[in-house]
Amino acid sequence: MPPGISTSDFYYILPELVLTAGALVVLIADVLLPRERRSALSWVTLAAVGATLASLLPFTSTHVEVAHGLLAVDRFALFFKIVFLVAAAITVLMSVRYLAIEGASPGEYYFLILCATLGMMVMAGGIDLITIFIGLETMAVSFYILAGFIKPNQRSNEAAVKYFLLGAFSLGILLYGMSLMYGLSGTTNLRVMATSFGAMAGDSRLALAVILVVAGVGFKIAAVPFHMWAPDVYEGAPTPVTAFLSVGSKAASFAMLIRIFVEGLPSASEDWRLLFWVLSIATMTVGNFAAVTQTNVKRMLAYSSIAHAGYVLIGIVAGTSRGITATLVYLMVYSFMQLGAFAVVVMLRRADVVGDELKDFSGLASRNPFAAFAMLLFMLSLGGIPPTAGFMGKFWLFSAAIDAHYYWLALIGVLNSAVSLYYYIRIVVFMYVKKETLGSEPTTSPTLAVVLAVAVAATLVLGVYPQLLFNVAAASARTLGAAGATAALR
Amino acid sequence: MVPLNYYLVLSAMLFAIGTAGVFVRRNLITILLSIEIMLNAVNLTFVAFGRALGSADGQIIVFFVMTVAAAEAAVGLAIVIGLFRHRESLNPDSWTALKW
Amino acid sequence: MSYYLSIILFTPLAGAFVLLLVNKENENAIRWIANVVAFLGFVVSVPLWFWFDPRGADFQFVERAAWIPSVGAEYFLGVDGLSTLLILLTTLMGTIAVLSSWTAITERVKEYYIFLLVLQTGMLGAFMSLDFLLFFLFWEVMLVPMYFLIGIWGSANRLYSAIKFFLYTLVGSVVMLLGILALYFAYHVQTGVYTFDVTQYQKAGFDAGLQWWVFLAFFLGFAIKVPMFPFHTWLPDAHTDAPTAGSVILAAVLLKMGTYGFLRFSLPILPDASHRFVPMMVVLSIIGIVYGALVALAQKDWKRLVAYSSVSHMALVMLGMFALNPVGITGSIVQQLNHGISTGALFLLVGIVYERRHTREISEYGGLSKVMPVYAAIFLIMTMSSIGLPTLNGFIGEFLILQGVFVADKRWAAFAASGIVLGAAYMLYLYQRTMFGKVENPKNERLLDLDNREFATFAPLLVLAVWIGIYPAPFLRRLESSVQHIVVRVSPQYAAKYAECNPTPTPDRVAASSNPAAKFLAAIPCDANGNPLPEKR
Repeated sequence: MPPGISTSDFYYILPELVLTAGALVVLIADVLLPRERRSALSWVTLAAVGATLASLLPFTSTHVEVAHGLLAVDRFALFFKIVFLVAAAITVLMSVRYLAIEGASPGEYYFLILCATLGMMVMAGGIDLITIFIGLETMAVSFYILAGFIKPNQRSNEAAVKYFLLGAFSLGILLYGMSLMYGLSGTTNLRVMATSFGAMAGDSRLALAVILVVAGVGFKIAAVPFHMWAPDVYEGAPTPVTAFLSVGSKAASFAMLIRIFVEGLPSASEDWRLLFWVLSIATMTVGNFAAVTQTNVKRMLAYSSIAHAGYVLIGIVAGTSRGITATLVYLMVYSFMQLGAFAVVVMLRRADVVGDELKDFSGLASRNPFAAFAMLLFMLSLGGIPPTAGFMGKFWLFSAAIDAHYYWLALIGVLNSAVSLYYYIRIVVFMYVKKETLGSEPTTSPTLAVVLAVAVAATLVLGVYPQLLFNVAAASARTLGAAGATAALR
Repeated sequence: MVPLNYYLVLSAMLFAIGTAGVFVRRNLITILLSIEIMLNAVNLTFVAFGRALGSADGQIIVFFVMTVAAAEAAVGLAIVIGLFRHRESLNPDSWTALKW
Repeated sequence: MSYYLSIILFTPLAGAFVLLLVNKENENAIRWIANVVAFLGFVVSVPLWFWFDPRGADFQFVERAAWIPSVGAEYFLGVDGLSTLLILLTTLMGTIAVLSSWTAITERVKEYYIFLLVLQTGMLGAFMSLDFLLFFLFWEVMLVPMYFLIGIWGSANRLYSAIKFFLYTLVGSVVMLLGILALYFAYHVQTGVYTFDVTQYQKAGFDAGLQWWVFLAFFLGFAIKVPMFPFHTWLPDAHTDAPTAGSVILAAVLLKMGTYGFLRFSLPILPDASHRFVPMMVVLSIIGIVYGALVALAQKDWKRLVAYSSVSHMALVMLGMFALNPVGITGSIVQQLNHGISTGALFLLVGIVYERRHTREISEYGGLSKVMPVYAAIFLIMTMSSIGLPTLNGFIGEFLILQGVFVADKRWAAFAASGIVLGAAYMLYLYQRTMFGKVENPKNERLLDLDNREFATFAPLLVLAVWIGIYPAPFLRRLESSVQHIVVRVSPQYAAKYAECNPTPTPDRVAASSNPAAKFLAAIPCDANGNPLPEKR
């Protein structure tokens, strides 16, 4: 076989190419368009995202490896790509108003959003350590800049620096682990690695590599004890960026996690399952209990996001096909409710009011009943109350845990889920029960209304009729890995 | 021939020095440098393994890592400059706007 | 496949949607629509009483549709005698609760009625569901409207009570979910089928160790709802701080969810565990009876007193249930209905004076029978019902429970009887302090007696109290097959005897029996132990 990329490979990476082209178009349009027409950039971005989504259509049942095992185009990658693109579209819609208020330059912002999405897509499809690394870095660097995008705002700058330093640090750890993996197996392709690691299960050097990679990945998903950056960064970054970060970056990191561990390290599954078990319990518990004390809604949502990473880890720990399916289901469901919740926070932002404290939510039910109802729905969904999508996701996760006989994990998970409702309901109390007029007047714009409508619809529909999502996720989970990897999925 | 383990030990030491630097140093630029030391330790590991395995993969990965690290450093320094404009200080302890 | 149950289930929800469209300023229209919808919901459910065939299949009006096939969850509704009675209780109490709120609620009226109607759907769904996941969905759905009802329209301390109620019940529910999942996977291991079908679980045999853990998981969920000691601490706060209609629904219906859960799920699906846990259940029930009664005796807040009386009464219900014999279980179910009627009425009564005087302190009242004679009469009837005076409904339930418990263990019956005595003590003490004596407090001199609307909220309850007290046969008849169904699983020794002297009635047996007037009982009647009574020909 001739080395390198062949022409047929270009066909398989069509979505990524379309997105790259779209990003460049946005950048060029930013230069060419006069200042007044800048708002059109958001539509250009949305068109780019839409075109990428459309270009995913031919690949719904492909299962190939591109460029001799650098990228995989399979249903697993497809599922995540859809999640990323939908999240990006919703973020763009959320950002229109926010950027106008902040007075930031939209062209570069949208370009970076698209670059981050591109990085995420590569992370989801990557089955080679190099590819994953490149995707990870593309996404991460884009987010470093995005976090500090509002230059006059000191909190934004601080968030960017914290994120950058801790991100680069965690990258170093992850790379070190990857280098050990390379050295022990002789290859960077995860699937080939699985077979060569099969012979050396229980080797202590492999365990060291696993620990380092777990630590590096743990930073990205903000698992305890690697979560210290998340509350600060989530609070300081511009709200739409926070939303995209908490949804897209987390989902992409989980995709990376599943690829590396389930496809590349099935032989060390005893080790990493135990490590993730510990991480899961610590993350759920610390995240929840820290959120209880918060009065800043963005910070509270940050801690809740940390706790949710803990719930998703339950699916990874279970490790069965059902567990991976549960992870995928929950990530999809989580995207909608988290983006929706942040959209409501964006609504409360006005020129003079930052709008992310609890007291800003006072009396929202009487000012804007639809937004209050949407937030109520998202809070219930995050807490796992039927008939919302969040309940279905948690149900699937806990059934995966019980199926794999991780009873204590499931018990801690459900108890944490119950406790989390304490702080979710607190927002509901401010919105519905408190009548003070100190609350911030919400701004409605057509784009935010669309975002809320989409998120509410998804949360309700998937909560009452999740069949389609379950099937799609199960099909995606099944395509994971070549013959060597399926040994990890009991 | 220098045995593989010597390279690995050296890179482990470099990695440890870099990690310690990130935690101990009180100057943003120095923290950044420590991270770069960590990344270089990783590069050394890759090259050493590549040589031991007799394939060029290790060196190719190093190209990727170096390029990406350079890009990241550029972005990072730009962010630090942005912060410096606000505070005139490179000491990480001086920023308390984002705390509990 | 009939759609009857779905119609009953979704009528309140449809009404809530209609209310969404009404302008919130138009309070009169909202009140009328809500009342009409609630009454319609009751009227729609009344045929259930006539159409339910006590001699027919175990579960009737069955509706099955696929919901989440990949998981094995279905939209599966069905009723038996137990659910029929509870559904009728729910729709009736729902109508009464909506009617009683006419003047009591003056702010945010639209949201109030919407929450009440959504709550109604949740409760009905829980009673009708025969699919575990569907049941769990409705079970949890009930929490949110109830939280709002307490939190927004309650009295002082309402936020604390609401969140306490919510979190307490939620913790129990999520642990119950784990129990459900454990059964789900165990059933799959046994049969290779993934399903949440409760009727299948009721026929399956699960390993004793698994049953033990699942019983505990279910116990947490249901015992908190009942509420059993020591998980009852949410009840006094929630009941006291809820608005009148909220307290009525809480007491009359929501508490029955817990006992329903034990009867429908714990006993038939986990028979071995049910037997092993009898000592624990009995001890907790007896403590509940006596403790609830003693604390009620010490209360100065009228509503709190009634709340603790609920704890005591429901503990008696649980004691009867865990005697695990047909009479005890029948008495337990009847007493559940009775508790709904009498305690619902008691809360309505408190609500009426609270609306007038805005205080619940017992010491503020006294001699009200002179000022509000009709009210006093109704209060007396309901007090006697709560105490268990013969000719009223309470007696039937208490007698059957005592009979069942006596057969199981005489010492338990002694404790239960003492609880009944204490029950009389606090109720009569309450009545005496509030109704008898001189009218000391000048604010009480001008209190208005019940108006027509308020009387209308009591009328059905009075009728039922007397009907069940004097002629309980129609109610008992409908319960027979459900109790048999449970007893067959959990105490088959009774069922065997039951079968001998009360064989499953089929039309030809009934026709062949020497007493053609006995519509479903075959010729040979049994006593409480399931032994055939001597024939009197």
